[in-house]
Amino acid sequence: MTLAVLSQALSLVLDPYVLWVVFASAAFGLFVGAIPGLTATMATALLVPVTFFMPPVPAIAAIVTATAMAIFAGDIPSCLLRMPGTAASAAYTDEAYAMTKKGHGEMALGAGLVFSAVGGLFGTAVLIAAAPALAEVALKFSSFEYFWLVVLGLSSAVFLTFGSPLKGVVSLLLGLLVAAVGLDNPAAFPRFTFGNAELSGGLTLIPIMIGMFAVSEILRNVAAMEQPWEMAQARIGNVFTGMWRLAKRYPLGILRGSALGTAIGALPGAGADIAAWMSYAISKKFSKEPEKFGTGHVEGIVEAGASNNSALAGAWIPSLVFGIPGDSITAIVIGVLYIKGLNPGPTVFMEKAPEMYAIFFIFIIANLLMLPLGVAAIKGAKQLLRAPRELLMPVILLFCIVGSFAINNSLFGVVLMLVFGLLAYVMEENGFPVAPAILGMVLGAMLEEHFISSMIKSDGRLLGFFERPIAGALGGLALLVIAWPLVRAWLERKGGKP
Amino acid sequence: MKINDALSGAALVALGAAVLWHIQGFPPMPGQKFGPAWFPGLIAAGLIACGALLAATRLRAATRDPLLALPAWTRRARPLASLAAVVAGLVVYVLAVDTLGFHITAVALLMVWSRLLGAAWRFALPVAGAATVIIHLAFYKLLKVPLPWGLLKGVVF
Amino acid sequence: MKAIVTRLVLAAALLVAGAAQAQYPQRPIQLIVPWGAGGGTDATARIIASLMEKELKQPINVVNRTGGSGVVGHDAIARAAPDGYTIGMITVEITMMHHVGLTALKHTDYAPIGLVNADPAGIHVRVDSAYKSTRDLIAAIKANPGKLKASGTGQGGIWHLAIAGLLKDQGVDPGALPWVPSNGAAPGLQDMVAGGVDVVPCSIPEARAMIDSGKVRALSIMDPNPPALYPNVPTLQKELGSKWAIAAWRVIAAPKGIPADAQRTLGAALKKVYDSKEYKDFMAGRGFGVIWADAEGTAKFMAKSDTDLGATLKAVGLAK
Repeated sequence: MTLAVLSQALSLVLDPYVLWVVFASAAFGLFVGAIPGLTATMATALLVPVTFFMPPVPAIAAIVTATAMAIFAGDIPSCLLRMPGTAASAAYTDEAYAMTKKGHGEMALGAGLVFSAVGGLFGTAVLIAAAPALAEVALKFSSFEYFWLVVLGLSSAVFLTFGSPLKGVVSLLLGLLVAAVGLDNPAAFPRFTFGNAELSGGLTLIPIMIGMFAVSEILRNVAAMEQPWEMAQARIGNVFTGMWRLAKRYPLGILRGSALGTAIGALPGAGADIAAWMSYAISKKFSKEPEKFGTGHVEGIVEAGASNNSALAGAWIPSLVFGIPGDSITAIVIGVLYIKGLNPGPTVFMEKAPEMYAIFFIFIIANLLMLPLGVAAIKGAKQLLRAPRELLMPVILLFCIVGSFAINNSLFGVVLMLVFGLLAYVMEENGFPVAPAILGMVLGAMLEEHFISSMIKSDGRLLGFFERPIAGALGGLALLVIAWPLVRAWLERKGGKP
Repeated sequence: MKINDALSGAALVALGAAVLWHIQGFPPMPGQKFGPAWFPGLIAAGLIACGALLAATRLRAATRDPLLALPAWTRRARPLASLAAVVAGLVVYVLAVDTLGFHITAVALLMVWSRLLGAAWRFALPVAGAATVIIHLAFYKLLKVPLPWGLLKGVVF
Repeated sequence: MKAIVTRLVLAAALLVAGAAQAQYPQRPIQLIVPWGAGGGTDATARIIASLMEKELKQPINVVNRTGGSGVVGHDAIARAAPDGYTIGMITVEITMMHHVGLTALKHTDYAPIGLVNADPAGIHVRVDSAYKSTRDLIAAIKANPGKLKASGTGQGGIWHLAIAGLLKDQGVDPGALPWVPSNGAAPGLQDMVAGGVDVVPCSIPEARAMIDSGKVRALSIMDPNPPALYPNVPTLQKELGSKWAIAAWRVIAAPKGIPADAQRTLGAALKKVYDSKEYKDFMAGRGFGVIWADAEGTAKFMAKSDTDLGATLKAVGLAK
């Protein structure tokens, strides 16, 4: 990288048109992310036709900025209304909402904002420095390695369970069962569809999430209308207060979240949502005060908030270097790169160096711009809290309806939202956690696909799952994670009752 | 609504059994050993095991809870009516929106919901109108979500 | 007063008459894509939509309806109101899925507008693979049935059929190369590079980034002509003397029963788009093949594809 390339890249970025695009797409990303039901992937898909009429650098800049903002903005409704704006916020939605209810809303939002930016910058630094090397590692992953990675992800669902682990497993199994509906399985056989074409597409996650997280909450609110409102009423002042203290208190968590997020993002197929779930679980596991998790404790939000934004940058690593998408967003980005003549491959860093470094600069700008714009978005969203709930609840419900509809432009989404809203309401009343079910739905298809692929490849021998070095290591780790609670229980019983 | 763990455990066992029965009809994947029945079969087995464990734990415990316990608010009219209105309203939306169009359905539902929850007419009406317009601008105009026009089709075009 | 009423009635009558005679299209059109955002079908649909917008002077909104190996989106196009305001991009799978038993939908459930693209299958291996030619590869499959594995699409998908058909053509049991189902060419290629499978028979543009980055080698193309992107890759005809050829294609179509004038207007607009420099440049830039047929020609093309693929699916044992 020479000085000439850098100055060329800078002049590409500091073009007023590019800066205008960055600003406009930032506002767009914040809006899409803050509305439950609209995902960062959807924001990208909607931007593609617009970017078609732009030169390469602003076209990519629009997507980079909008997605970074959307992933952060997903934290805002998590915090204020217990609705994750994007799937990447779902891991710590309950935690953030509990904080707001305790009157620490500004700390939850501030941690989400500041450490999103920190994680995003960390991921960007890795993207710039280590892109080719990391992508090489990710490329060595076949279905065996992926299978174990998914098993690790699912075991983290058990750690995410508060209360009865048995009920956590039940919730996970229900999620996996939902994931099995439809044609989307290796055999492309329509399972549990009963001849219905909508069902053959499978049950779409976003309406289910809106139902399980938002509609169940509305139902609870409506049923308890005569009691004082449980919705977070906290005054939200300066969201930056205490952030430096948090950074000094959890430096390891921030680093761990950013690093894990970048690594998971760089793995093809696994994106910001899985990064957030895993980081939250790891944060709890290694915390000095794990008992506080779930009661409105900021530690997990710091780590998982950094993780999901760093995953976003990490996903660009295999996308740029090999043309393999790291997540669903970069799957769309690769198409745009081709249209713009920035064909991904190792040579792109030589042939299109100014454009590549301009994209890196955009990553940095977007993550810095997130701080002032994020504050503005938080202030705007706060108005939602001031509205009286007899007016607010119906409006939120209408947003849920339209959001569920918008995913597939299908009323079936609204039906799903209602059914799963009622299910989640009954589940939570009886101590069944909702989060493992969501994780089961997210990872179910991947789990089955990689298991079946691996079984076919190894001709049905289970030993084949451990024969490749990375798979063997990951598999050993996964088995250890699963076995640990049993071992601990056995040790305790032995120690407690001699 | 509190459901006794013994009852929910039994329900899970029943669900698992139903899934196991249903997947017997799944054909094998042509040319492959591992068919579409394999994965749901494993989940069903897990559900049966967990359900049985849940019920057994509950039945062994000393305390005896009722099978079904309804919270206090279900005996009062107002919360029940609100809850029913939310669920019924969503059903009405799904059934009516293609005919009436998004705008008419949305305004009507918002009005009914906020009135039932206790809002005054002078707030319910403008909020319903404003929210519908904002959603129209954000989703239909900006995000190009094809919200149906329904009855208003002839008026707009 | 009476005069005013008469005039109003007249004006209203004129308005109604005007509306009735107004040219299609009067409002935005929706274009359904049965495959995910970012893929080849999505990219092709979006460029066509943006160019057709200019011809028709109405916005065209591209909507991805994915899932169920494409059944969901294809079904949504076929079931949409046949008013000319919902169209879609249907793909080769519409002539395959009903043979395999995935759905009852057929190509005859659509009113075709035009054929816009076709990409022949290629054969790809890892760059460090021992097989330097299609001949080596087929010999190895024959010598050790079941040892090598292939991937690149779902069970019974177009690329699965492509390699099974070639093996049958060369006198090798198609079952000698077990198929590992995947969600498309990209994951299949990745798995091959990671060492999970040995062969991926997908289209050349789908493997392009991997070929350019030196991870994957294209052995041959199942088409009479060598690929435009890599003219050195041999055709099957040249290497094996085989006439086996197969390609994935994409068609713009509307639900059956669409008004004839709308079908004509759309067809004319699509033809202009197809002839435009922007479309040709875009498709050439990504390495996609271009091919044209009008509504009638497309119907014939699909009918032939249906018969051919149906027979092949049966021959290799993928359909009953």
